[in-house]
Amino acid sequence: MQLLRKLRGANNEGSLVLVLLAVVIGMSLLNPVFFTVNTAFSILRAATVPMILALAVLLVIISGGIDVSFPVVAIGSAYTAVTICLKTGFDPGLPAIFLMAMVIGGLLGLVNGFVIARFRLPTLIVTLGTQGIFFGAMLVYGCTRYYPSLPDSMAALSAVNVIDIPTDTGRAYLHVLVLLSIAIAVIIWAVLKFTMFGRSLYAIGGDVEGARRAGIRVVRTQLLIYVLVGMVAAIGGVAYVVMSRSANPQDLVGGELDIIAAVVLGGASIFGGRGSVGGTVIGVLLIQVINNSLLLVGVPSAWLRAAVGLLLILGVGIQAITARRSAQRIHSVDDAVVATGPELEKVS
Amino acid sequence: MKTEQAPRAQSGANSFADLNNRLGRTVADAVGRTLRDRGVSRMLIALVVAFAFFAVMRPRIFLGPINMQNIMVAAPEVGVIAIAMMLAMLTGGIDLSLVSIANLSAVTMSTLFTMMAASNPAFGESMTVPIILMGLLVGTACGLLNGLLISIVGITPILATLATMQILNGIAIVWTGGKTLYGAPAALTVFGKTALGPVPMLFIVFLLVAIVIATVVRSTALGRKLELQGANPVAARFSGIPSRSVLIASYTLGGLLAGLAGVLFLCRNPTASADYGASYVLLVIVIAVLGGTNPNGGFATVAGVVLATLTLQVVSSGFTALRLSPYQYSIAQGVILVVVMILDTIDWSRFKRKRGPATESASLQTTQVGSIKKEKEQE
Amino acid sequence: MDLLPGEVHCLAGENGCGKSTLIKMISGAERPDSGEIEVDGVVHTRMNTTSAIQSGIQVIYQDFSLFGNLTVAENIVLTSAVAARQKIHNIKKAREKAKAIVDELQLDLDLGADVENLSVADRQLTPICRALVSDARVIIMDEPTTALTHSEVEHLFTVVERLRARGVALVFVSHKLQEVLAISQRLTIMRSGRVVISGPSAEFDRRSIARHMTGSDVEESRRVPEFDAAATPRLEVRELTLPGAFRNVSFRVGKGEILGVTGLLGSGRTELAESIFGVLPAKSGTILIDGQPVRVRSIQDAVSAGIGYVPEDRLTQGLFLEKPIADNIIAASLDDHRNWWKMLDRKRIWGTITHFFDQLKIHAPHPNRAVRTLSGGNAQRVVLAKWLATEPKVLILNGPTVGVDVGSKAQILDLLRIQAERGVAVVIISDDTNELVACCHRVLVVAHGQIKRELVDDQVTEESIQESMAV
Repeated sequence: MQLLRKLRGANNEGSLVLVLLAVVIGMSLLNPVFFTVNTAFSILRAATVPMILALAVLLVIISGGIDVSFPVVAIGSAYTAVTICLKTGFDPGLPAIFLMAMVIGGLLGLVNGFVIARFRLPTLIVTLGTQGIFFGAMLVYGCTRYYPSLPDSMAALSAVNVIDIPTDTGRAYLHVLVLLSIAIAVIIWAVLKFTMFGRSLYAIGGDVEGARRAGIRVVRTQLLIYVLVGMVAAIGGVAYVVMSRSANPQDLVGGELDIIAAVVLGGASIFGGRGSVGGTVIGVLLIQVINNSLLLVGVPSAWLRAAVGLLLILGVGIQAITARRSAQRIHSVDDAVVATGPELEKVS
Repeated sequence: MKTEQAPRAQSGANSFADLNNRLGRTVADAVGRTLRDRGVSRMLIALVVAFAFFAVMRPRIFLGPINMQNIMVAAPEVGVIAIAMMLAMLTGGIDLSLVSIANLSAVTMSTLFTMMAASNPAFGESMTVPIILMGLLVGTACGLLNGLLISIVGITPILATLATMQILNGIAIVWTGGKTLYGAPAALTVFGKTALGPVPMLFIVFLLVAIVIATVVRSTALGRKLELQGANPVAARFSGIPSRSVLIASYTLGGLLAGLAGVLFLCRNPTASADYGASYVLLVIVIAVLGGTNPNGGFATVAGVVLATLTLQVVSSGFTALRLSPYQYSIAQGVILVVVMILDTIDWSRFKRKRGPATESASLQTTQVGSIKKEKEQE
Repeated sequence: MDLLPGEVHCLAGENGCGKSTLIKMISGAERPDSGEIEVDGVVHTRMNTTSAIQSGIQVIYQDFSLFGNLTVAENIVLTSAVAARQKIHNIKKAREKAKAIVDELQLDLDLGADVENLSVADRQLTPICRALVSDARVIIMDEPTTALTHSEVEHLFTVVERLRARGVALVFVSHKLQEVLAISQRLTIMRSGRVVISGPSAEFDRRSIARHMTGSDVEESRRVPEFDAAATPRLEVRELTLPGAFRNVSFRVGKGEILGVTGLLGSGRTELAESIFGVLPAKSGTILIDGQPVRVRSIQDAVSAGIGYVPEDRLTQGLFLEKPIADNIIAASLDDHRNWWKMLDRKRIWGTITHFFDQLKIHAPHPNRAVRTLSGGNAQRVVLAKWLATEPKVLILNGPTVGVDVGSKAQILDLLRIQAERGVAVVIISDDTNELVACCHRVLVVAHGQIKRELVDDQVTEESIQESMAV
């Protein structure tokens, strides 16, 4: 029983893995092309940026908030970094570009964090507002121009593949940035599990007033969360720009749902206090697999968004119904109610 | 406290005076109540200030009759959706799918018209009313879907409406093939251009909708139930308020309003697309919150929302007059939203501090301290 | 007030006497205007939560301040880890630390379980362990026994003994005087912000404590209105069963009768009330109103059948704090206040409000004031008004005078008697034996989900109730 519970995972991650396996197997049976290394690699590649963004959002969702400004922060930071490089004609190399973007992302995140933490405002509405501000600012003070070519270091990276193997249908490439997303996943997992900062995220998400009373510096932690989200989102933005070999400031915007859906499907509670890296990873993969499957089957891409919406309803709906069922258990009575003994004893 | 409400015997001679008195009192009550609502007084000031600001900056353009007309023509579609958002927030939720519903409804109507008018244009025109009804029906059905997901299945409003937003958007995209549809009953376009004196018909429709919803919220049992459900869902349940029906009603009504907004879209331009008004999603939330709607539920006024709609339309038109870009307007919206919410907390935290003892611990004993202390202070 | 190591000191007083504020000041959550706190000879004039914890003072509030989504071990070590500004969370070390305390107190807790899956009693033990991990020397417990069943209270007291052996000073803030007197060595009573008396517990009895707490010798005398016992009972319950809560419960309440229901916490009495009201519908059995069976599958069913319920937790379940008093009063009877066109009839609403302001003597400047501005007694009247506005046939009240000052208490009991005289069947669930004796015709004592005893007329005395409750 214990083993079964462990396998199932704290947030039903186990069931999610089963669903994922079911879809993969189902698709492979339907269309053998699916079950190839090519497909696997292309799914992993497509999942890279969503994975990084989803991990960023996971941090916020665990702490009980929600952030819809992250795609704008992601593309905004990356785009600005690219603009700086191209305008100054100076290519400082990849690590520096990443760093630049992270600084910008961190600053944007700081704005979010400051407003939310200091004034205790509802996170959805604040980040809707900052999304508008960041997006507008980027297009007004930046350029609306679309850059078809990137600084050399980035352009070079876009062609680097970590695995390059011959297959029946040609060569299968696994892009190096997939490793980046894996690295980030591992780092965030470690932070959540082994640092007090990570544990305090769960505490704040579980009971924010209780966290305050326990001595956790909630305001400071929340600030840090949003800064981190901004930084990780920025990494995702740069990765996106590299992989798409161009910088378009209007990309990524509007993709909030897919990412949040992945995180929620992965078992994170939108109210906070629950969530895991494992679940998020599976959630992202599941959505990518389904997207890929639908494309393979010939479903027009316009349906993909709708499909994610439907999946979200199914996933969350099932979670909601099972939660309600289990809440109806009654704990409060002392001892088992026994049938023995007289029903009513009149005092004579 | 008014204890002198005992009904007095009314003779014929006095009844007119009484009626006059009663009318006067009712109006005074209504006005007093309205002004007391923070959102309304604040919006009134904001509207006047914004108007004055832009009038001073660019009097020639801004105060011209075309500009005024434009404001009154553009505001209704946003305003109706904002009122729908207010309804969702009233029950403590949110509805992110409203714009998608409006678009879907517009797309439906445009498609129907094109189908009917294909062979015989006159036929299409004659079917204007059924077409409009169809649009409203689509909106209501979508709203009902939201309501069912939220109340029966139990999905939280953010996620449910986020999902339906994407699903309905997807349906609309597939339906239109990603293109803009052209075609709507001429009657609608004509209606969109008609005015009653200086006031466009569309604006009058907006005001009518506002009056109807305001009446529902203030003067019907359903309206009170909506408020109570949002104010404290647990107490609402324990008071016998049918939470499920109330939530379904709230989102269905919201969907109906969104469908109506779709009709208004067509009145302004005989085109329909799946992605029209994407920026409205943020805008209506800004309007609702500015208009005094508490996003946690229980408190909202239609008057506040109407004034906020006008204010933001004035700002938008002012920006255009000042030759600022729509992106700058987007920044302005975000800034206004954040600033207003921050200013709000300065009020709310006085709220919260009074509630402090009550929410600190579950102990009934300790919770009364705060209120008893307050009472003693007042004495 | 002073605390000696290894003693259990009880702090008692009516609501509003200041005991909660005093606790907040000791734990650093609030700043006193003057005076000082001395811990182990060290004087503190500016205590905040951190310095309080560092001095060894810990408060356990009634909600336990636990994180349901974290494990027991994590909850136990969290506060001390935060206070020590730890950066890394070493799972193994945390578990060892927690285990050390748990073993010392000889408890049986599953350290790896999520707290939200624990029973209430286990949940209460967790913050005690947490306090000890921070090396607490003073542990203040707010209403420690209120949420516990009888056997759980006994277990708690054994743990308390072990804490005393460790030299910890304990403060129990409680109004459950019988239980607490049994365990405490000294007692301090406050009234209106002052310490009225303080001394060894052995020198007090329930009567003297009540006298000091209220400042008067107020005891309700028994006064029950007449009712026709032969007529069809207003409320009859037959073989009502809800597995896990109560089983085969049957009783009746006549028109105009006031029935008391009592029992230790965990006996199933609250579940019984909630079942009749539709919160937790019974799985089998029948409910009859005026001889007619009614289906109660939801709260709405209950309300339509004419049942009203004044809940124990009135702040969350009974009132809309931010809403005006007027809205609260008509909250359960909105549909009845409509006119021909199905719109709300303001005149009728105003009539209802003034009627109840009058009849229940609600003290408020204006019905448009928010309920949260009211005192406990007035707030309870508003809840009562809400239900009376529905003209109920059966009125169930759970802890009707909890958190209500003495003056209001007498008035509320009077109001209930008046309702009974009007034919309403009143059911009062209460821990307050004085209250039960004062107005109930009969008292049912519930234990283990069944009615253990029924006390009728002259049998309804404080002694017989106490006796029946003793296990």
